[in-house]
Order: sequence, then structure tokens, then C-alpha cells
Amino acid sequence: MRPAVAEAQEYLAAVEQELADLPGDDRGALLEDLAQHLEALAGEDDDRPLSVRLGQPAAYAADLRAAAGLPASRGGAASSSVGLVERVRATAASWRALPATRETGRLLGDLRPAWWVARGYLVVLLPCLHAFDGVSDFPVPAPLDNHLLGALLVLVAVAASVALGRRRLPRPLELLVAAFGILLLLATFVAWDRSQVSRGAYLGAGAPMSPQMASEYPLLSRYGPVTDVFPYSADGTPLEGVLLYDQDGRPLTVGLQEWWADGCRRVLEHPQAADGGPVSWSFPQDYELAGAGQGIDGRPAVCDAARPRPEVPLPTFPPAPVD
Amino acid sequence: MDASQLLKGVLDVAVLAVVRDADGYGYDVVRRLRGAGLEDVGDASVYGTLRRLYQAGALTSYVVPSDEGPHRKYYAINDRGRSVLEDSTKTWRTFADTVDELLAGTGAAA
Repeated sequence: MRPAVAEAQEYLAAVEQELADLPGDDRGALLEDLAQHLEALAGEDDDRPLSVRLGQPAAYAADLRAAAGLPASRGGAASSSVGLVERVRATAASWRALPATRETGRLLGDLRPAWWVARGYLVVLLPCLHAFDGVSDFPVPAPLDNHLLGALLVLVAVAASVALGRRRLPRPLELLVAAFGILLLLATFVAWDRSQVSRGAYLGAGAPMSPQMASEYPLLSRYGPVTDVFPYSADGTPLEGVLLYDQDGRPLTVGLQEWWADGCRRVLEHPQAADGGPVSWSFPQDYELAGAGQGIDGRPAVCDAARPRPEVPLPTFPPAPVD
Repeated sequence: MDASQLLKGVLDVAVLAVVRDADGYGYDVVRRLRGAGLEDVGDASVYGTLRRLYQAGALTSYVVPSDEGPHRKYYAINDRGRSVLEDSTKTWRTFADTVDELLAGTGAAA
């Protein structure tokens, strides 16, 4: 930014603040082309700052009021009699006059085209997030399970959104579009939170899970849900009936395995404690065939009651030193 | 004598006179007043005066797009403004003549 423009803007902001108690119309009309004038002045071949050439902003504002026939500033002790609306307006104006606020406003203005693009994308993405169709909707949304259609719709929507953004709309319509944009953003956040897209992150991060999900997959490894644990001793002996607890001493429970490679149906049988309660944290889990030769889909299948352990690459430890 | 105090009283008529010659925007009016010799004329006073004359119905205004930046608001005198200027001119003449006579009077009476 040229220093002249910055200086003019600072001065204008200070004058604006002094006029903050005036009704918006009066203030707006007074300041209407002052910005341009101050910029021109600051850009002139004169090294003196504006506050020297024009006087302090407060004095400038007072002259402006007097010449325009507007009431003088009600400052200090009289401020308690100023109406709430005017005080709110004055506060808002002083906020707007802060360099940080102006800078933020300018930055937001620069980012508007990016928002237009995002808006077009979100319009297509949002409905897709609601559909639990098992098709990935991110980054390319898939309306009707079709990514190509999604990409085309995104292109059209982005073009339309940018065209809308570049147009000057009447104020009420502008507010309506802005409100729609905020709603769209909020709705996308909510839908994203519930969507399949974020579900993986949900489980991995240990965020609250629905009870249904918790009973389906109470334990996840990096490879997916854990449905059983096969313990071995250090010398490679398979162990049975091992009770496992987590770092806080809570029994470790795993998911239920519903589907088996041989197509047979099995039911989970937990060993029983003395009080008759099932001990679900005893590993490996004990699955029994449900009905001899009964496949999942009702067709006969070759089922083996003895469930072989998976092949595991057991480590070999160095022999213990002999005393 | 402080000329700025005198200026306050005649700023309305000075601004009207400048705008009667040619339509102008705020800064332009300030420059023309200074160019005419009223070097002490205050920036803010001119802006405020233009606004007040406009609200009083003595000026009309229109907006002209500018290549360099935001649109410029031009002010133009209307019939009401012309009649105000005419009245003010008469008042000023009478006043100025009276003061002239008064200032010269000591010599004439002597």
C-alpha cells in the first residue's frame, strides 16, 4: 500500500470516529468523497503529515459539523444521555477505525473470490454428505454414486457462484445471499461431522462413538476392527484362556466376527465365571459352529469345528544367559 | 484581524459563487476557492458547507465515475441556490459598502 493511502485512511478513520454519534446517513454523506480528497491531499508534494496540514482529526470533525449545521459532539459527561443505539453505533465505528479491524476487513475482501469458489463446491458436496451410500464423496462429491457427474456439477456450481459474487446485488438480496452462505457453511460442518468421510477419523481419534458402533468395533487396530487376539508365550507356545486388560485395568473386549472365510456360521461362547457371568475378555475367543454344516446363507458348507490359528511370524529371542 | 472569522460569515456565498461558475466536487471547490485568493479556507468547512447547502435545497448533486478511484459526488447550483446567491450578494454589497464607508468615514467627516 502506498503510504499516502495509508495516511489518508488513518486520518479518515480518526475523523469517522469523531463523528460516530451522528446518524448513519449524515455521517455517510459527510464522509462520502472525503476519502478520495484526503488521498489526493496526502499524495501531493508536501512532506507535512495530514494532521499538520488539516489540523487534528477532532478539530477537522468539529469544523465539518459546524459548517454542515450538525450538532456538536456530545462527549465526556454528556455521554450517559446518548441513546443506546448511538452508543452501539459509536462503538462499532471505533472498532472499524482500529487498524487491525481495517486490515482484517481488507483481507476478507481479498478472500471473497476464494469463498465464491468454495461456496459452489459446498452446494454440490452438502447433499452428497447426507447420503450414506458407501461411495466416497471427498474430495470429489458423487451424486447418484457418480464422480464424473459430481465433478461436472461442481464446475457449473463454482462458475455460477463466482458469477453471482461478481454481480452487484441490491442490499436485501445481498444480505440474503450472505445468510445463505453462512447456513451452507454451518450445514456442511454438521453434515461432515456425521458423514462417512469423517467416520474413520472419529474411531481412530477415540472420539465419542455411537453405542451401536462401539458394540460393533470396540477395538480397532491400524488394520481395522479387531475381532480376536491370539496370545503366545515367549517360547512360541500358543496360550489359551488368557485374560487381557487395558492400561487402566479394564477388561479388553473386541468385536464380534460375523463372517468366516469358510462360509460357516459360528456363535461366540464366553467362558463363565463362578458367579455365572460371561468372561468376554478371555482370549482367543471361543467360537462354536452353529448347526453342523450350516452355511451362512443356508447352503451346506464344509465346516471345521477346530479353528486353526493364523500363521504368525514368531520372533526368536536370544537364549537366556546360564548362571 | 483574523480573516478566518470573516470567512465563516461569507463561506456560503463564496461556495455558491464557485459552484455557479462550474459544477464541482468537494476537493475541487476547495481548490477553486483557494485559487481565487481565499487561502485560509478550511477543508472541513467547505465540505460541511456543501453538505448543508445541498440539504437546504440550494444545490443538487450527481455522481460521476472516476478512473482513479471511487465515484465523485459533484454539486451543481439550482434555481433556489441562484436566488439565495442573489439575495446574499445584495446583502454582502450593502454590508461591504457600509463597512467601506465606515472605514473611510473618519477621513470624509473630518
